[in-house]
Amino acid sequence: MRDLVVATVRDILAAHEPFVLTRERPWDSGLWAELAEAGLTGVGIPEEAGGSGGELADAVAIVATLAAGAAAVPVAEQLLVAAPAVLAADLDLPAPDEPLSAAVDGAVTAEPRDDGDGPGSWTLIGTATDVAWAGVAQHLVVLAGSPVGPVLALVDVAGRETTHAANLAGEPRGSLVLQGVTAAGALLTERQADELRARYALARAVQLSAALEQVLAWTVQYAGERQQFGRPLGKFQAVQMQLAEMAGEVTAVAALVDSAVQAIERGDSPVLAAAAAKVRAGSAVEVVARLAHQVHGAIGFTQEHRLHHLTRRCWSWRDEAGTETAWARVLGAGLLADGPDALWPALTRVL
Amino acid sequence: MPSTLTLAPVVPSAAAEQVRAEVREFLAAELAAGTFTTHVDTWLSGVDPAFSRKLGERGWLGMTWPRRYGGHERTAMERYAVTEELLAAGAPVAAHWIADRQSGPNLLRYGTEAQRAEILPRIAAGECYFVIGMSEPDSGSDLASIRTRATRNGDGDWVVNGAKVWTSNAHTSHYAITLVRTSPADPAHRHAGLSQLLVDLSLPGITVNPIRILDGGHHFNEVVFDDVVVPGDMLLGEEGNGWHQVTAELAFERSGPERFLSTYPLIAEFARRVADSGDPAQLATLGRVSARLLALRQLSLRIAGALDRGELPDIPAALVKDVGTTFEADVIDEVRRAVDVPASLDSPDPLGRALAEAQLHAPGYTLRGGTNEILRGIVARGLGLR
Ligand SMILES: Cc1cc2nc3c(=O)[nH]c(=O)nc-3n(C[C@H](O)[C@H](O)[C@H](O)COP(=O)(O)OP(=O)(O)OC[C@H]3O[C@@H](n4cnc5c(N)ncnc54)[C@H](O)[C@@H]3O)c2cc1C
Repeated sequence: MRDLVVATVRDILAAHEPFVLTRERPWDSGLWAELAEAGLTGVGIPEEAGGSGGELADAVAIVATLAAGAAAVPVAEQLLVAAPAVLAADLDLPAPDEPLSAAVDGAVTAEPRDDGDGPGSWTLIGTATDVAWAGVAQHLVVLAGSPVGPVLALVDVAGRETTHAANLAGEPRGSLVLQGVTAAGALLTERQADELRARYALARAVQLSAALEQVLAWTVQYAGERQQFGRPLGKFQAVQMQLAEMAGEVTAVAALVDSAVQAIERGDSPVLAAAAAKVRAGSAVEVVARLAHQVHGAIGFTQEHRLHHLTRRCWSWRDEAGTETAWARVLGAGLLADGPDALWPALTRVL
Repeated sequence: MPSTLTLAPVVPSAAAEQVRAEVREFLAAELAAGTFTTHVDTWLSGVDPAFSRKLGERGWLGMTWPRRYGGHERTAMERYAVTEELLAAGAPVAAHWIADRQSGPNLLRYGTEAQRAEILPRIAAGECYFVIGMSEPDSGSDLASIRTRATRNGDGDWVVNGAKVWTSNAHTSHYAITLVRTSPADPAHRHAGLSQLLVDLSLPGITVNPIRILDGGHHFNEVVFDDVVVPGDMLLGEEGNGWHQVTAELAFERSGPERFLSTYPLIAEFARRVADSGDPAQLATLGRVSARLLALRQLSLRIAGALDRGELPDIPAALVKDVGTTFEADVIDEVRRAVDVPASLDSPDPLGRALAEAQLHAPGYTLRGGTNEILRGIVARGLGLR
């Protein structure tokens, strides 16, 4: 199943030009339509809930393939973060062909409505900031604070006023004013809220890992093709050292992210594993993106060349869904939870 | 990712976690009894035969070897857990480290029955220690250029002449697996004509001269061979196959947790500081360092898994060593920038002492076992560039 899914995504991607995001064209709606048509925007979601079935690992494979292809669609948010959260909270999942995103930074508060709508109805107050695919997503999962604990609310945001902001790759990261909006929602425990944030971070780590691997592959390929001084760049030892350093980073990231995904599949608590994966993947960007551009020379600095589609995303993704520094603090604090003398046992328990 | 660099994931094994718990308990008791104190880089500098024998008694040396050679027929994953726990505690493991890690497996692979039966049980008991006799004054990275020679005499014994350098712990060990030239160098076939000899370091004609490292410590040596007569049956493996054997040995040498945990005791000491201060920037530093360590652990574990499957992952091993040793040195500056503690071996602050130990040993991390430049050349080969 997994190989087939990945092959299908690759085929669909191959038929699409690299998509240059602008304010007027904030996403690749054509690609999304094809993915939805093929059932790929519902993978990992049970058929009873309107999805296409499949496991988390299948959804991860789709997200990774699309990330490596610099696809401008909210698949990571939908498949790895928002849809699983909606299902876990027993809320009604919107149809998988309607893009769904998530806002988890907690800037919104929720008040239970006592007007007879029942305990599942909340009034949201505040502004959701740094929302991935704001203006594109039709529904938004909002992690809100409330007097009785964290609330997961599902908001229909189609047509709502959105401020335009973009990350370094031009992906929409705007704000949505949710003042007084009524939404279905469910109370979460603090732990569930932490785990939701962790899954979002892990989703970005999966994207980073795939993108970094692709950047390495492009760079190795380019070094084999581009000739200077009568031989391919890859024959120069200085260039080999750079590519090997990139490979070291990419391989380390891939191993950790992969193991973190597997740990979550086994049912382990995702928070520290996701934190580690996110921090490690993010820190590799510095080396991999820098050296990729160095090896590509000026051509890689142009808009025509494909390299920036991934390097710009990597520069942003490392600080999205929680900055690298914030997750590093979470990891550091989590590892010290049983006291500093238990650091080593804690490290061997994360994964 | 090119298949030469891809490693299959491993599932944590219950047996490994079991032995991990046993080692942890043992180490806590030893630390409490004061039989050792934690130091940085103890797999180079912590020579303690009594401690090595204790590990042997508990079955934690020669773990993966057949029982008939004193081994315990356990998995590489279990061995991994044991070595990792010992390193994390900064325990004195240098005496037996090379013998257990690479000389024993080398003997198992290439030794004669007599060599295995005679030596392996003593290694597993923590009583017999080995050194790596590869580098020479004029041959470092370019190992194939070695000049130490062995020629057969009329009795069929080997007569060895030459000198090895940087030979870690030759002054505390029993045998040197020595790479020698057994036929003259042939510029057209640089790797041909090399062989490995099992050399008893107490043989007449061998002189071990200390070479002090920059802090004055005596860990490595020059070993001079002056007409040393090595019995004919102490050839290891095949005559002329030395290059191939050395390469196989390096897969074991390069991939273990000692390639990223040499400075772990510094991280442990830093953690105590962070727990006291609760300082957010220090917490972030601890998190960043830990994330790097966790990734290296996954890589190294995967290599242990590959060894269990009988693979020889020499290219990933080179990659792990490059990334790992870079990390163990980087840790020093990560910690330095997060605290206001001057490094000194005489510091009243244990963090200052750990920083000093880690810094003074730092140049060695990215040199020993093949420099990072050489390792990156191997990784580049894995990428198809050469
Ligand atoms: C603590 C420690 C313990 C050691 N223990 C042992 C031991 O027990 N047994 C043993 O046999 N050896 C041992 N060594 C030696 C170690 O294997 C060598 O130091 C290492 O192989 C490098 O050789 P060299 O020091 O002669 O440096 P050189 O080979 O002279 O290299 C010097 C510099 O030039 C670079 N360089 C060399 N060739 C190239 C190239 N082709 N391309 C790019 N850069 C290049 C190197 O990377 C390095 O940076 C030990 C070393 C240390 C530091």
